[in-house]
Amino acid sequence: MRYYARKLGFYLVALWAALTLNFFIPRLMPGNPVDTLMAKLAQRGGQVDAEARRAYALLLGGDSEGTLLEQYFAYLGNLARGDLGVSVSAFPTPVSEVISGALPWTVVLVGVATVLSFLLGIGLGAFVGWRRGTWLDSLVPATTLLAAVPYFWLALILVALLASGLGWFPLIGGYDVVLDTGWNAEFIGSAVYHGTLPALTIVLSSIGGWLLGMRNMMVSTTAEDYVLTAQAKGLRGSRVMVRYAARNAVLPSFAAFAISLGFVVSGSIITEQVFSYPGIGSKLLQAVQNNDYALMQGIFLVITIAVLGANLVVDLLYAVVDPRTRAQG
Amino acid sequence: MFLKAQRSRRRLAAVVLAAALAAAGCGGSGGGGGTAADTLVVYTGQAGDWQLNFNPYSPTRIEGLGTIFEPLFFYNVTGSTDPVKRLGESFEWNADGTVLSITTRSGATWTDGKPFTAKDVVFTLDMVAKTPTMNSVGYKGKAAAIDDTHLTVTFDEPSYLVGPQVLGRTWIVPEHLWGQLSDPATNVIATPVGTGPFQLDEFKAQAFTLKANEGYHSGAPAVKKIRYLSLSGNQAGADALKAGQVDWQTGPVPDIANVEKNYPGYKANTTPMNQAALLTCSNAALGCEGPQTDPAVRKAVYYALNRTQVNSLAFENTASEISPGFALLGRDDAVISSKLAERTAPMQPDTAKAGQLLEGAGYAKGGDGLYAKDGQQLALNVKVVAGWTDYITALDTMTQQLQQAGIKLNVQQSSWNEWADARGQGKYQLIIDSLYQGPAADPFYLYSYFFATSSTAPVGQTATPNFARVSDPAIDAAIDALKAIDPKDTAARQPHLDAIQTRVEETVPYIPLLTAGTTSEYNAKKFTGWPDESNPYAFFAVWSAPDNSEIYRTLKPAGQ
Repeated sequence: MRYYARKLGFYLVALWAALTLNFFIPRLMPGNPVDTLMAKLAQRGGQVDAEARRAYALLLGGDSEGTLLEQYFAYLGNLARGDLGVSVSAFPTPVSEVISGALPWTVVLVGVATVLSFLLGIGLGAFVGWRRGTWLDSLVPATTLLAAVPYFWLALILVALLASGLGWFPLIGGYDVVLDTGWNAEFIGSAVYHGTLPALTIVLSSIGGWLLGMRNMMVSTTAEDYVLTAQAKGLRGSRVMVRYAARNAVLPSFAAFAISLGFVVSGSIITEQVFSYPGIGSKLLQAVQNNDYALMQGIFLVITIAVLGANLVVDLLYAVVDPRTRAQG
Repeated sequence: MFLKAQRSRRRLAAVVLAAALAAAGCGGSGGGGGTAADTLVVYTGQAGDWQLNFNPYSPTRIEGLGTIFEPLFFYNVTGSTDPVKRLGESFEWNADGTVLSITTRSGATWTDGKPFTAKDVVFTLDMVAKTPTMNSVGYKGKAAAIDDTHLTVTFDEPSYLVGPQVLGRTWIVPEHLWGQLSDPATNVIATPVGTGPFQLDEFKAQAFTLKANEGYHSGAPAVKKIRYLSLSGNQAGADALKAGQVDWQTGPVPDIANVEKNYPGYKANTTPMNQAALLTCSNAALGCEGPQTDPAVRKAVYYALNRTQVNSLAFENTASEISPGFALLGRDDAVISSKLAERTAPMQPDTAKAGQLLEGAGYAKGGDGLYAKDGQQLALNVKVVAGWTDYITALDTMTQQLQQAGIKLNVQQSSWNEWADARGQGKYQLIIDSLYQGPAADPFYLYSYFFATSSTAPVGQTATPNFARVSDPAIDAAIDALKAIDPKDTAARQPHLDAIQTRVEETVPYIPLLTAGTTSEYNAKKFTGWPDESNPYAFFAVWSAPDNSEIYRTLKPAGQ
């Protein structure tokens, strides 16, 4: 039990540290939301004089409510009550509403893409490792090359070929804008269709890592005595590969997978930018560009909790799966 | 210059895509898909989701100025044409400019069927006056309705020049609905009810649509639907145009000169409007530091620039000449002072003159070809936003030009926020930016924004928007005098406009560069009635409200 208490305590401290950084880092950035908004308005053809600045500073509450320390405790207090504040860039929408509108898109897109690339990578990796020394080995450099290609470049090439060139996929957006959002077949079909190309980009660029790791673990597992014994018993090759070798080889990848699920929430800013996808990544960019402290903090909070939560689950599960991690030195 | 940032990203993407398109033989699908002949698809530069907000008094509203909520009159900022009647019929000032009498339209209705009256105007003006968070124009008048079509607005002091704000930039809202709102300043007005030519059709975070108001007082517009797209900067511009998915967008595309060839059916229009300049933190008394606080240095830079070269290398020749007095060439020709030493800034450099000015100020040329004073090299730091490729190219060009004249320029790129912060607080030596115009075709507004002491602040505090920290009694006196003169009395105004322009030319707090053109690409095959040189009835920019509403209600589908 002491082990679990220690772990939980550690995660609580990590959460507090993350929340504190979350509060201070945006405030070290130059500029403030009112001036950012003013400059944006001026560029959109608005007339912006001293009166407008006064009006908007009043409207947005300004950036000088008490000292930094007072603001910090007010921030912690609001968090405890689940109040994330009001977004400046999407004024007067509450931050929680902005996030809850964007989060499902990212979770589904990046989540499905992560699961897919994991399954494909592990499956291919097991197979390639099992058949090591054959032509299949060339899959390893090919997929790692895809992972090494700058991400936006891969995305742009896919867009140019599959969307602009061949016209198979839509260029932009999360769904066909003429449809009504909701749980109807047409809309879901459109969302899946629009999500295919961004998902493909993520899968293509991340499959290499899974494949390489799995393949190398597979190679060392197949050298183990129990695999040799299984083969000597005359079991079918596929059974030995899946039940004996792959099952053991997949353990490290599984831990890595659990952690990468935590990062699903933070999404992929670049994917969402390239495809104008309505997810959390584009919201984060919007928040940073507008000095929208509340929105930034809200998004960081969600990401922090997701990553810490995933790590905690992995930590606790690992202690169950492998008692050695619990033992004290 | 938000659009500029997008433009550069778009350029990169366009290069990539152009190659692919050429190979694949073009094509493209997705986005809005096929649209009806009377649906206008516009791209305002919006990246990411739209947030529902149709409150015309909210700084983050997404649409509605002039389209849903109308002003009394439409002022064309590109020319001195008379204000166009919207909800107003006529207006008149009393002799000393303190009482504005307005006659409003009779027979107009709100989209919920209730009649519009002068009482709605009084309600709107009162609401703005008593709600500081909505009063972004500093309106201090007192409005009173006489009957259903007449009202007066009384001011404490002569307020001729507040007129265009009250008449052209106050969005009239219905009293019977807004009177019920507990906090009109922060209400998002999810179901806007206005008198305008359009009303909200449907709203979605990725795109929203306005539809024609069939009961519009001046006859239903021929454009039946307007769809507002949201695109990321990456493929947006050139690609969406190429695929015919956008009918109107504002912002340059590569190879502007050949838009008609590259995008069949489309045309481009470039309107000179914003005056690009090197802003200088000019006023040592307000805390500015650096060689640029010396007017001789600013003048030397002014003469050492080769504007023709900058225009061709950085702006694809879409910029045009600029007047050192900052009256807008073309539009303000009638008021450009004859007392100016130069009517337009020289397009060719005069390094000899720049040298004389510097030597007169105590600078001497060193062995490295650069001027120096008291052992200090004449070097100036200039800030620009990373990614604004046209401005960066312009600065690189200017660096070489000024080197010839013995002045060193250090270009510092920074993030947009950092740049805007430095500009507002005056913590810079030079910044490249442009000056913007006011609510009516009158240089007064630009002078009151960028040259009045009341719009500036000491270094360290935010200036709004007199970033150069100009504080000049002669200019202030002329601005105050102009406020009390009827804009129609051109003879009485001219001496004061002369005073401002000559003083601005003399002190160069903003080093004039070129008049930057605003370029729109539009589908001339699908719609007719766009503004052009012969009929510039509104400022041609899709993001400029209420100018866009005037264009929306003028356009006709080409089939009709």
